[in-house]
Amino acid sequence: MALNIAIIILTMAGTLFFIGTTVGLIRFPDFYTRMHAAGKGDTLSTVLILFGLALYQFHHLSVSTLLVGFKIIFIAVLIFIASPTATHAIMDAGYEAKVEYWKNKLLNWPRRQGEED
Amino acid sequence: MLFHLQDWILWQCDVLILVLVIASAIISLCLKDLVSSAIVFGAYSFLMCLMWTEMLAVDVAFTEAAVGAGVSTVLFLGTALHIKRRSKD
Amino acid sequence: MKAIALIVTLLLGGLLIAATADLPDWGDPNSPASVHVSQYYIENSLEQTSVPNFVTSVLADYRGYDTMFETTVIFCAGLTVFAILRRAHRRRQKAVNPRPEREDKDLILQSAARMIVPMMQLFALYVVAHGHHSPGGGFQGGVILGAGFILLAVAYDLKTVLARLREKTVLRLSAVGVLIYSGIGFVCLLLGSNFLNYSAWARIMPFGPIEARSHGMLGVEVGVAITVLCIMFSLYVDLASGGEMDEGL
Repeated sequence: MALNIAIIILTMAGTLFFIGTTVGLIRFPDFYTRMHAAGKGDTLSTVLILFGLALYQFHHLSVSTLLVGFKIIFIAVLIFIASPTATHAIMDAGYEAKVEYWKNKLLNWPRRQGEED
Repeated sequence: MLFHLQDWILWQCDVLILVLVIASAIISLCLKDLVSSAIVFGAYSFLMCLMWTEMLAVDVAFTEAAVGAGVSTVLFLGTALHIKRRSKD
Repeated sequence: MKAIALIVTLLLGGLLIAATADLPDWGDPNSPASVHVSQYYIENSLEQTSVPNFVTSVLADYRGYDTMFETTVIFCAGLTVFAILRRAHRRRQKAVNPRPEREDKDLILQSAARMIVPMMQLFALYVVAHGHHSPGGGFQGGVILGAGFILLAVAYDLKTVLARLREKTVLRLSAVGVLIYSGIGFVCLLLGSNFLNYSAWARIMPFGPIEARSHGMLGVEVGVAITVLCIMFSLYVDLASGGEMDEGL
């Protein structure tokens, strides 16, 4: 029972973060903020859902379910390393290619370096 | 017919993947930028890998994931950087 | 011209879609593909070769010739790309897509690559060795091994990787993989059996003829993995640097 509640909480939280990621990917104004939403939310939600799935395997403890559960946890660890790195690489490539960043003209923000008003 | 598709996997899932496969194939043909085209083609390979998994051909899906979505995308990208990046049609 | 091409494509596509109505159902046991020899392989693979995954036993044992020549085709394709693209000295041309020069390499990317590449190589070895019991085999394992070296070349630069895995070594090893495959088959011929009939190995090795087929498959998979690893890496090196071997992607 407690295991079921934990699984439901983990997967629901993962789905919620996925929805937040998608909304951020669509609504944010420029490349950098979109990549920020995609990188953070995607990693967290995938890892949460995978941990939920791994716990789901542990309903009946035997060698085969343990093996499958630990394989899923290995995938989660791999995503935890690889996904932020990929986001960083894409963001860095965009910075090197001088992609325009978003400027709020009303607030005059973000300010350039050395610019005072 | 012995195996009904519904017994194995949700058919809605099947239809969703098929639609995405066709959409990504058409998009990768229509794009003029070769680098974007290579990336969309990698997505197409990954969706094909999901298709093979759904048809329970796991060996083929493994090969598709390793070769199609992994190495060939990198090879396409490496080639696209050394030729003219915009295609004419 | 484009309108004609569209019409031709639509016609051919319509014909193909109409033809799919005559294809057998998915998983139909009475379809032509399922009634001839596949029944025999499914029923007898475990008894005859002691390999539970009959995809591997069909690929590497019953249809060993096919896989051997597939490996040879990959080897020839890699050699062709090498022969066309590789140039020893070339005048520096202006790159078609110039990229900004940067002094420092990306530390985050390198650290992540240093963590991931050993895991990839371990997983690839598992895939090669465990192909008898689970999906996988020499081809997939070789591709994953090659992808590990490509990841190193992307995260660091081409010179770092080529210092660890020299170009001559790559080309020699890719031939060695094909030689391992055909050599295992040829030893069967010397032992008085058919080419690629691995059960002949039981005469000089301390196991029975059924286990000999399983171990012969493992040796063959290792050969395939070596060839595919080297050819994938060689393809990447030639294509991404334009044959100059100085800078990668």
